[in-house]
Amino acid sequence: MIETPCRDVPLQEWTAALAAARSEGFDFFDWLTAVDETDAPESPGFDLVCHLMNSSTGQSSHGALARVLVRTRVPNGQSAASATGLWSGAAWHERETHEMFGIDFEGFDDGTGLGLRPLLLPNGFDGTPLRKSFVLAARASKAWPGAKEPGESSEGGEGSPAHTEKPGRRKIAPPGVPDSTWGPR
Amino acid sequence: MRVELPMPRVGPGNDDAPRPIKVVLNWGRRYSLWVFNFGLACCAIEFIAASMARHDFIRLGVIPFAPGPRQADLMVVSGTVTDKMAPAIRRLYDQMPEPKYVISFGACSNSGGPYWDSYCVTKGVDQLIPVDVYVPGCPPRPEALLQGIIRLQEKIASETLSTKAIRAKYAGSRRAAAGEVTRPLVARPHPTRPQVTRPQVTRPHVTDRDTGGELS
Repeated sequence: MIETPCRDVPLQEWTAALAAARSEGFDFFDWLTAVDETDAPESPGFDLVCHLMNSSTGQSSHGALARVLVRTRVPNGQSAASATGLWSGAAWHERETHEMFGIDFEGFDDGTGLGLRPLLLPNGFDGTPLRKSFVLAARASKAWPGAKEPGESSEGGEGSPAHTEKPGRRKIAPPGVPDSTWGPR
Repeated sequence: MRVELPMPRVGPGNDDAPRPIKVVLNWGRRYSLWVFNFGLACCAIEFIAASMARHDFIRLGVIPFAPGPRQADLMVVSGTVTDKMAPAIRRLYDQMPEPKYVISFGACSNSGGPYWDSYCVTKGVDQLIPVDVYVPGCPPRPEALLQGIIRLQEKIASETLSTKAIRAKYAGSRRAAAGEVTRPLVARPHPTRPQVTRPQVTRPHVTDRDTGGELS
């Protein structure tokens, strides 16, 4: 398995890098999404990732298309330039990235003039659910009923310290789970 | 254009029928359940397996498949119910004629299952529509559905059915405005308050669009 080459570009050169990749032959737009890196130690923000393929390749021995990832870091609150001018099919991906991560795309145009609007989320949904800061309502109202370790269970978990107390083990809460400042659950 | 049709009735004779006749009528109803499959995820595959030759729920009188909800007596919700799909489930349930029954098939439609903490999964289809029989499992085997159908048939056999009783039974579900289940963004509780308030699942009022404009 060959790792897909990845090009990191500054935010200002986002569409220019995409246009350059397209002129190199990477003319097939596969997908665009974001990765929440707001807890990164340096330059926190969202990684905007676009996967492109070269549709004229594929005649090689293993028949795989040449592919490339273009990536940029969008600081929280800033907007990125839209790729809908290069590929019209980017509109759905940018709408989904907008509703899931709250990233705005300047110059978004899907031909309807309605702008960035929710694509997949139900009507009236509040928040951007794929951000790590988004707290799940089910987790806020109820503790997870399962068990992560053998011997751990939801019943009598506190009553049997021999099984549950593991010294030196750091407890990591996954994203979406409220921390202890939210109170007991 | 809207066509005004009266609500289907069981029949005027049923209210005053003597008890042996009611037993016969219930016997007829329990073994002629036209089923409507609301397959949403992998549980639907097990449902289809239950309808096929090896398990074959036709021998229990469950007839696959109704052409649409308006011809169905039984709806089997099999799979993960999402908040986006919730208005469609409510709408199709409302379109079924009464008396109507619902089997919730699988962990996801029972309670949300492994996705109970997801931002988009409804915590059980019983938040939207009344459920008669829950079939546990992830996914349940076809035999579990057969057992659920037998339980439902026992329930139907013990019913006393009259038009007035049906009206009473479904009155609550007609008023329920659960076509759209949305949750507001949860917020951190106020630090000065000692008692933690739990976020409530709110059900906004159903609009004409969600129920197809058929219900008041």
